[in-house]
Amino acid sequence: MNMVNDILQFLINALSLGGLYALMALGLALVYSILRLINFAYGELVMVGGYSLLVFGAGPLPWIIVALLSVLMAIVASLLLERVAFRPVRDASANTMLITSFAVSTLLQNGALLLVSPRTRAVRVPSFFIENVTVGGLLISKSNVLSLVVSLVTLAILTLFLRRTVLGSALRAAADDFVMTRLLGVRANQVIAAAFAISGFLAGLVALFWVGRTASVVPQIGLNPVLIAFVASVIGGMGSLAGAVAGGYLLGFLTVGLNTVLPQGLLDFRQAFLFGIVILLLLFRPQGLVSGMQSTERI
Amino acid sequence: MLAVEDVQVRYGAITALRGVSLHVEKDEIVALIGVNGAGKSTTLMTIAGVLKPAQGTITFEGQSIVGRSPEDIVRQGIVLVPEERRIFPGLTVEENLRLGAAIRSDRAGIRQDLEEMCERFPVLGERLGQPAGTLSGGEQQQLAIARGLMSRPALLMLDEPSLGLAPQLVDEIFQLVAQLHEAGVTILLVEQNVERTLEIVDRAYLLNTGEVEYQGAADELREHVDVESSYLGDST
Amino acid sequence: MKVGQFRMWAHRYSTLIILLVPLALIALIADLSGQVVLQRIVIVLFINLILVAALQIFMGNSGVVSFGHIGFMGIGAYASALLSMTPEAKAAALRSGYQVVEQVQAPFILALLGGGAVAALVAAVVGFPLMRLSGAGAVIATFALLVIVHVVLIHWSEVTNGPRVIFGIKQFTTLWIAAVCGLLTIVGAYWFKETSLGLKLRASREDEHAAASIGINIIIVRWVAFILSAFVTGVAGGLWSHFITIFSPVAFYLSQTFLIVSMLIIGGLGSVSGAVVGTVVVTAIFEILRSVENAISMSGLLSGTLAGLTELVLATAMIVILILRPAGITGGQELRWPGKRFNSEMQGEHD
Ligand SMILES: Nc1ncnc2c1ncn2[C@@H]1O[C@H](COP(=O)(O)OP(=O)(O)OP(=O)(O)O)[C@@H](O)[C@H]1O
Ligand SMILES: [Mg+2]
Repeated sequence: MNMVNDILQFLINALSLGGLYALMALGLALVYSILRLINFAYGELVMVGGYSLLVFGAGPLPWIIVALLSVLMAIVASLLLERVAFRPVRDASANTMLITSFAVSTLLQNGALLLVSPRTRAVRVPSFFIENVTVGGLLISKSNVLSLVVSLVTLAILTLFLRRTVLGSALRAAADDFVMTRLLGVRANQVIAAAFAISGFLAGLVALFWVGRTASVVPQIGLNPVLIAFVASVIGGMGSLAGAVAGGYLLGFLTVGLNTVLPQGLLDFRQAFLFGIVILLLLFRPQGLVSGMQSTERI
Repeated sequence: MLAVEDVQVRYGAITALRGVSLHVEKDEIVALIGVNGAGKSTTLMTIAGVLKPAQGTITFEGQSIVGRSPEDIVRQGIVLVPEERRIFPGLTVEENLRLGAAIRSDRAGIRQDLEEMCERFPVLGERLGQPAGTLSGGEQQQLAIARGLMSRPALLMLDEPSLGLAPQLVDEIFQLVAQLHEAGVTILLVEQNVERTLEIVDRAYLLNTGEVEYQGAADELREHVDVESSYLGDST
Repeated sequence: MKVGQFRMWAHRYSTLIILLVPLALIALIADLSGQVVLQRIVIVLFINLILVAALQIFMGNSGVVSFGHIGFMGIGAYASALLSMTPEAKAAALRSGYQVVEQVQAPFILALLGGGAVAALVAAVVGFPLMRLSGAGAVIATFALLVIVHVVLIHWSEVTNGPRVIFGIKQFTTLWIAAVCGLLTIVGAYWFKETSLGLKLRASREDEHAAASIGINIIIVRWVAFILSAFVTGVAGGLWSHFITIFSPVAFYLSQTFLIVSMLIIGGLGSVSGAVVGTVVVTAIFEILRSVENAISMSGLLSGTLAGLTELVLATAMIVILILRPAGITGGQELRWPGKRFNSEMQGEHD
């Protein structure tokens, strides 16, 4: 009975964390798959979402409205970055785009540092984020259940969008062969904007839960999400959307697993172990877990 | 209809086209032939807007299309079915075809054209829900052409549609191209298979190291080619 | 004839002369001025120059982006500090150090080389799997490496005193030690490009498949360059720790990474000249901004701090430069004495 409970507990934790990681990875991989841009500033979209929660949450608005507005702000920020920073370097080398995104990330982070505050700010979050329920002797945090459900639903909706709509198939086609997609008359700017919008949406969604865990926001809040997204999408095979999701879940399981397995003294080194495992994984599968036909050609 | 004047294209330090001029009139079928590396694909990619000419003009229906984006040029009515098919392997056959109609918004018309393609290419009709990557080479070529037709182009450019196909399939492809032409599609065809090409086209240009070396009606070109057969040792 | 030979010679070495002479002059002026503030700035300039040049050795020649190098700087800084500190100092600084670590003590030069060696060793071990990656994978994996090193530095209290500062290091790095090391690194990086390893590396940058097809083992070539570059970075870390004398792991993380990477990119990562130009230009911008920042804070015009202003402006400058000149200020070319080019191979520097 205890054993079963432990396993269930582990599964819930891993699936909820993994779901969050999968959303992070997907947002990054989507843009990467089309533009070959590793968007360092993706973490700052989470930050924008976080500070929006802070700003809008200060008023009398109900939390759900605040949450919607914050997600919207992340989408707007993402589209804005595409237009202002990334479009001018779209035709430059992959390295130039990469460094641009690194600079944009630094710019936004320091902007928040300068304009808001370098200190941690408390954010109002609804009480269910810190509440637990007991189901059959199992202590479950409500936010875990929520993130588990939200991530699954989001992934399902995105899958439907990608498979059932023309824009969705244009996105998948562009990830595969962008020039050919344009040769069919699909507008490059439209596809890219769609990718950035979805990426911003996912970052905004992630921000809700990420901020919810600590009920606070700092300028560096985006660092961990972007790192996780990076690593998950590399494990999954850069540019493969399904791979990014798989990588996210795998990373979630590994993290929760390490939390359970590592002795107290080594718990501090968890992140080092995690990324160490990833580097080892890459030693055996440099092309990632899901190496679709495209990813082998591209690299 | 299409007029290319003195077009020069460079890849970094390499000059791939050194002042190419050619024209295609409505309802014509015109071929562009030449050895490997002559610049045939480069010419088509430049017309389609993927490559920007360093010099020269390209007009379509009297309007300049130099500097336009590929997606705009498709909207003008020029469609390129590029070398090596470039179908989207992860998308289904139907999705590939529907993307071909990306510039159109008439749902009913698209539906109808989709059915027509399934009739004309029965193999595609049978495999609509299948990932395009699982098709054979010949089927993929048919898909690439059908996808190009889905936008109802005024001018269809085909880059080596018979490439890598078994002799039987090559026959089928040439028949198909001839049929398309009879059905009223204006075609600019790039081919290595000179004999077969000259059987179905009205006129042809012989391209050599980035220049038009010879041009004329199919028969004239055949004679010219016979004399200079050293160029085309592989196809005669 | 003699004149012709001289011109060949001058052309060949003009890059080094153009780069080294002004740098040496900067050091000389700082020395003669006797101003401590200026001297400190120049010392940091030279240390950063070594870091940027080391990064250029790997990144510029291989075309593979590394975000992990500042981790090697940290390793070099801590390793060399632990080697040079007296046992008493270590006992005071580290609460529960290891016996072995506490006992050893080496002279400055050995400590410096030791720091480089430890960094090189780590690079050798983790580098091999990394070198199989290129493009996006390499970027992310090296970034993950930076995080790993940071996590280890912060939590391995026995050796680093954890997130707290480490102190008790003697100041060995003088202006001239930093300057000479900086100039030597420039010469080394310039020379490296022309070695057979450097040439192979650049061939693999231009075309991985072509390079592999003429028998270049890309992984090995990159790996060796990575180790070499990590060694130089580690030495720079040692120079820095023996200049600053009190520091904590946060010094070797994202801000420093951003600074060094932006110096290289702004200058142009394709050439050693780019490394030098970028370092000097960014240092100048940085110092001007810092004095502005100080002036504003001192005048009390704005309440609160201006933390972040420098980076903000630097990031903006970088984006503008990337948009206008994607290959950096030097465009990836070496600076040369103006005059006709002697052969075409000097032009093969596009990126
Ligand atoms: N992306 C490129 N970069 C550099 N040079 C290129 C590139 N693409 C083509 N070239 C060069 O341009 C010239 C013309 O190439 P193009 O592909 O147009 O020839 P082609 O006539 O289509 O040949 P094939 O019959 O082999 O398809 C060739 O010398 C080729 O090497
Ligand atoms: Mg061709």
